Amino acid sequence: MNESRENKTILQMEGVSRFYRTRGNVFRGGGRLVVALSKINLSLRQGEIFGLVGESGSGKTTCGRLIVRLEEPDEGRITLGGEDITHLKGKRLREYRRQVQMVFQDPYQSLNPQVTIADSVAEPLITHKVGDPLDHLERVLRVLKTAGLSPPEDYVYRFPHQLSGGQRQRVAIARAIVLEPSLLVADEPTSMLDASYSAQIFEILQGVRDKLGATIMFITHSMASARYLCDRIGVIYRGHLVEQGPAEQVINAPKHPYTKALIDATPKFGRSELVPTYGTLLAAERPATSSAGCPFFRRCALAERLLCAGSYPPWRQVGPRQVALCHFAQEEVPPPPPAENAARGETGAP
Amino acid sequence: MALLQVENLGIGYQTAKGLLKAVDGVSFTLEAGRSLGLVGESGCGKTTIGMALMGLLPPNGRIIEGRIVLDGIEISALDEDELRKVRWSKVAMIFQAAMNALNPVKRISAQMAEAIQVHRPEVDDSAAMERVEGLFNLVGLPLERLYDFPHQYSGGMKQRAIIAMALALNPKLIIADEPTTALDVIVQDQILKETKALQEKFNIGIIFISHDISIVADVCHDIGVMYAGQLVEMGSAKDVFFNSQHPYTQALVSSFPTLAGPKTKLAPIPGEPPNLTGAIPGCRFCDRCPKDTASCKLEHPKWQEVGPGHHVLCDHC
Repeated sequence: MNESRENKTILQMEGVSRFYRTRGNVFRGGGRLVVALSKINLSLRQGEIFGLVGESGSGKTTCGRLIVRLEEPDEGRITLGGEDITHLKGKRLREYRRQVQMVFQDPYQSLNPQVTIADSVAEPLITHKVGDPLDHLERVLRVLKTAGLSPPEDYVYRFPHQLSGGQRQRVAIARAIVLEPSLLVADEPTSMLDASYSAQIFEILQGVRDKLGATIMFITHSMASARYLCDRIGVIYRGHLVEQGPAEQVINAPKHPYTKALIDATPKFGRSELVPTYGTLLAAERPATSSAGCPFFRRCALAERLLCAGSYPPWRQVGPRQVALCHFAQEEVPPPPPAENAARGETGAP
Repeated sequence: MALLQVENLGIGYQTAKGLLKAVDGVSFTLEAGRSLGLVGESGCGKTTIGMALMGLLPPNGRIIEGRIVLDGIEISALDEDELRKVRWSKVAMIFQAAMNALNPVKRISAQMAEAIQVHRPEVDDSAAMERVEGLFNLVGLPLERLYDFPHQYSGGMKQRAIIAMALALNPKLIIADEPTTALDVIVQDQILKETKALQEKFNIGIIFISHDISIVADVCHDIGVMYAGQLVEMGSAKDVFFNSQHPYTQALVSSFPTLAGPKTKLAPIPGEPPNLTGAIPGCRFCDRCPKDTASCKLEHPKWQEVGPGHHVLCDHC
């Protein structure tokens, strides 16, 4: 990846929060306020694959939905290429959606079962009145090929039920890239698929980045997939972004106790002796006295009651371009980077 | 004698397009206190084997050949009434979607007590409740949640309740079918560790069915890799995953991202598994196999012993 492309910020989230109100009932009246995202600051650089890692309920999908503007944030600002898109409406929102597309988690539900693959993939072109309708089929064939369905002619007149899960997810990707978006949000695109299909999806997403120059936000719960696919990783816990940095650094030298706990819990496969055990997770939650403190206080083995329960932690610079939201995170000397050539070969970047 | 012996098992489903042989010629044994991981992609027959071991095949499925012997009883020859006596007291199952395996309108404790009393009518209510409390302690569920309904439990707690129910009658064999697929990594890790500890404590045999090779590699002593209804490689977890011999196992391992070690390029497996209706003359993997030769398509491959206790169904290994 060349430097100029890497440094240009394409999407920026500043202090973005999103709240949901639970449904009340006849006896209790109004519901409880749930914080899905709390003051998220995040920027995506052009042409990178950014991994957002977290457990279910951590707010990672909400974050993706805010970016494609399926929802509006309650606080904060989102900009794409400098333009404020936080509260776009009508025609300008439609134009925005041409540039920002999403791949959903479940390929069994995201495709209309009554529509052929060709029509499904061409639908965004029709909605956005792009190109000459006579050229649509040609475009569809081209993106199906980019999405790894070849020969594409074999697929265009099939229906979703005639495809396997991996093939459906590739159709969903084709549909998302047919408008040549500059930003693609992929929400756990491989969690419903077998490992051999996931590897294909990873390859296709890398191809989308390399060939179309799209920026990708890859939402996942798997540290191992994030390590494989992403340039940078952000770790999210209960709506709070807790650590952010280059993928290799966050996984090899995590600085936030929650990131460490995630790595501890990931089943080790391969060279497991190379992964240290951190032991940063408390077996039982400790009671929290206030909501002002660290979001991870209740599960953190390192926390100190006075400091962590009472005050929200600061962002600490913990390595080159790596930051962690923790009172105890300290600047450490990062491990020596691998040889330049090896690093290039690994990420699959040109 | 081994706890479980499966010999040349074949299971077919009657479908509109003819008989679909979901499992074909599968043989393995499991000793008490050992765990066997069955891995493979969706549709490879791993869940079908689990269901057959429980005697719970769907109406259109039946065992067409071979036999299953559990603790000296030939399960494959039992009728429904006899099966019911074996089921749960000798062999129990942890189902795939634990969230849906609990009755939503019954309190957890009542469901567990019912499971016990259905199989052991001589156990009175207070003894059953005592057992339920013991089970709660065993799987780390707080006793004050005894009388909750399932919807008040988190995903991990429901999974614990399901594991407790599987342990209720001290079975000798537990079949865990993707027990942690729906859970987050941290909860999954806790459940796997607890399952492993309980297995060692009670000397239970476990068959662990999963598509996630990193989980079975962590938990199981032995691994059987399945492809298109057949076992293709069998051996200790170390042999199968770190000295893989079958091209399919090798492909599976190299398509899996890891947390450590060099970040090698993942190699997706090209193509799709074969259709299992109708006869397949040669090796089932040959269309996707890098080692494929002309003879592979014509003849059934034979089992080769590539190391002590490490077997591969391939003529080129």
